[in-house]
Amino acid sequence: MFDRESSSSMESPTNDQPQVPLAPAEKPTPPATGTVPARPDPFWRTPIMWFRTLTIERRILAGFSLVFTGILVISAVSYRNTSVLIANSGLDTRSHELVQLLSTIDVTMDEAENSHRRYLVTGEALYLEAYKTVVEQKPTFITYLNDLTRGMPEQQHRVDLLNQMMERQVNAEADAIAQRDEGGFEAVMKMALEGAAKQELGAIHRIIAEMESYERQALRRRVMESAASTTNTIVLLGIGALLQLVLLASVYYLIRHDITERRRVAAELKLRGELLAAANKELEAFSYSVSHDLRAPLRHIDGYASLLRKAVGESLNEKAARYLQTISDSAKQMGQLIDDLLVFSRMGRQEMLHTTVNLDQLVKAILYDLRLDLQGREISWTIDTLPEVSGDPAMLRQVFMNLITNAVKFTSTRPIAKIEIGVDRRTSAEVVICVRDNGVGFDMQYAAKLFGVFQRLHRVDEFEGTGIGLANVRRIVHRHGGRTWAEGMPDKGATFYVALPTRRPRS
Amino acid sequence: MTATKPILLAEDNPRDAELALAAMEEQRISDKVVLCHDGAEVLDYLYCRGQFKSRLKGNPAVVFLDLKMPKVNGLEVLRTIKADTNLKPIPVVMLTSSREERDLAESYALGANAYVVKPVEFHQFLSAVKELGTFWGVINEPPPEGSRSSN
Repeated sequence: MFDRESSSSMESPTNDQPQVPLAPAEKPTPPATGTVPARPDPFWRTPIMWFRTLTIERRILAGFSLVFTGILVISAVSYRNTSVLIANSGLDTRSHELVQLLSTIDVTMDEAENSHRRYLVTGEALYLEAYKTVVEQKPTFITYLNDLTRGMPEQQHRVDLLNQMMERQVNAEADAIAQRDEGGFEAVMKMALEGAAKQELGAIHRIIAEMESYERQALRRRVMESAASTTNTIVLLGIGALLQLVLLASVYYLIRHDITERRRVAAELKLRGELLAAANKELEAFSYSVSHDLRAPLRHIDGYASLLRKAVGESLNEKAARYLQTISDSAKQMGQLIDDLLVFSRMGRQEMLHTTVNLDQLVKAILYDLRLDLQGREISWTIDTLPEVSGDPAMLRQVFMNLITNAVKFTSTRPIAKIEIGVDRRTSAEVVICVRDNGVGFDMQYAAKLFGVFQRLHRVDEFEGTGIGLANVRRIVHRHGGRTWAEGMPDKGATFYVALPTRRPRS
Repeated sequence: MTATKPILLAEDNPRDAELALAAMEEQRISDKVVLCHDGAEVLDYLYCRGQFKSRLKGNPAVVFLDLKMPKVNGLEVLRTIKADTNLKPIPVVMLTSSREERDLAESYALGANAYVVKPVEFHQFLSAVKELGTFWGVINEPPPEGSRSSN
């Protein structure tokens, strides 16, 4: 039953203007490729364009994220490099130990061979001590070697070989000692001169030399590796720190820029607020003086016109009486205008209450107050159950008083006036109340003018009024965070809509 | 006795004064009206000084006080009257063009006995002044002479 499309189109006063074709400046520019040779964007243009679209908060967040990511990467790489350094230094210690152990083994094996030869020659048991030591220490040496070469298969292999050779040397020497013990010096003379395990000892020397050289190579390699890794780390830290600095500086610039901008805006707002307060104060003084000073001469005009009428008395002719009456009426009308204007100005400045207003009771109270003015009128009222809204009771009373008296006024030419007050629609955000009448209506092309101050669509001799009632309605509804609009057709009645938010507006 | 006590009308605007007097005349109480043209004159009258040095002693039956007056404005006069124990019992009626809330609030806060907005329409003004004059000047019994407020 409601034409919502057209109703919403009437909300703003700018909508009444006919659709003007777009100015040339606003026309979309034709694609540039037609006239200017297209130049491909550099690859870095896209992220910058993207960055420009971000809000300041997101830009700062992006900057800090980059810094954070950079710190993470640098930390990870540094950690890895340092671990390598630490591991290498552990390996170095092991290598040094190994080299030392190997030379000990070397010497010890030599010692064993030499001392056992001396024994073979002399048969002196004292010379067997060194040999016995080797036999005792050999398992310890091997365990130690295995320990130090763990994880290096090549060296382990050599340790195995070494172990075998040492075993063979010890065994050969044991055989030789046994032969000496059985057959005396003669039985082992050749061996005593040449050594029982000359070959094995040679192999042992070779293996040990190999192992040593292997370790030295590994050491050298690790030293180079560590040096490279240290250089890497230093370079990375340097570049990283530089990048971080640049990023942080940009973020700082962004924040600073934003803060400066905000400060500027705040200062401007403050200035405007002060100007506004000053203007408001001036306006208040103005309306006070209007209220006080402008009324006095009007009272005088009306007063002296009345006194004149009384003084002239019966001798006043009809024409002169009408002139006097017009003078009085005009003064009264201007008084009414001033009063209405003051109310309108007060409505804009007055502190607003925020309570729950029962519109049902409000409308009933208004109709009760109007009952004397409605005498002699035939009006059929249709009033829905109205909701409760949040707002200022006195102001909302003014809204509905104006809408209802308007409906009553503009149906005065109807034999039976029909006035409906109801809920047009209800959403979670707002409730729309409508007041509909079957009065003289209005032309929709003037709809936006309806709510302006001193705007009237009818001549004073048709319907009296100052043209401020609907301006007041709009002002009050706006202060409540709501909207107003109207629909009508000449001679077919009018509907006025008031949309009030269901939640209390932020003040 | 009420009938003998004057009505003090403080009105700087001669036209308003004339219209008010015209209204009083219809009630035949205009001869009781003493007209003051500003706040200072009102105080001179009440304290029997200046041009009122030799007037008959005694407080008026009522003071009709305009708010906006030269020299001393209505609110200042009101403040002086209500702060003086001898003058405090005099009924003071604010008779003004101002409908401003702060004027109303301040007047009552200072102890005004009534606040009347001068209607633009002469008939209403006439009847307002008539009623005020009759009520405060004739019907209402003013405080006895020499009465002082307790505080």
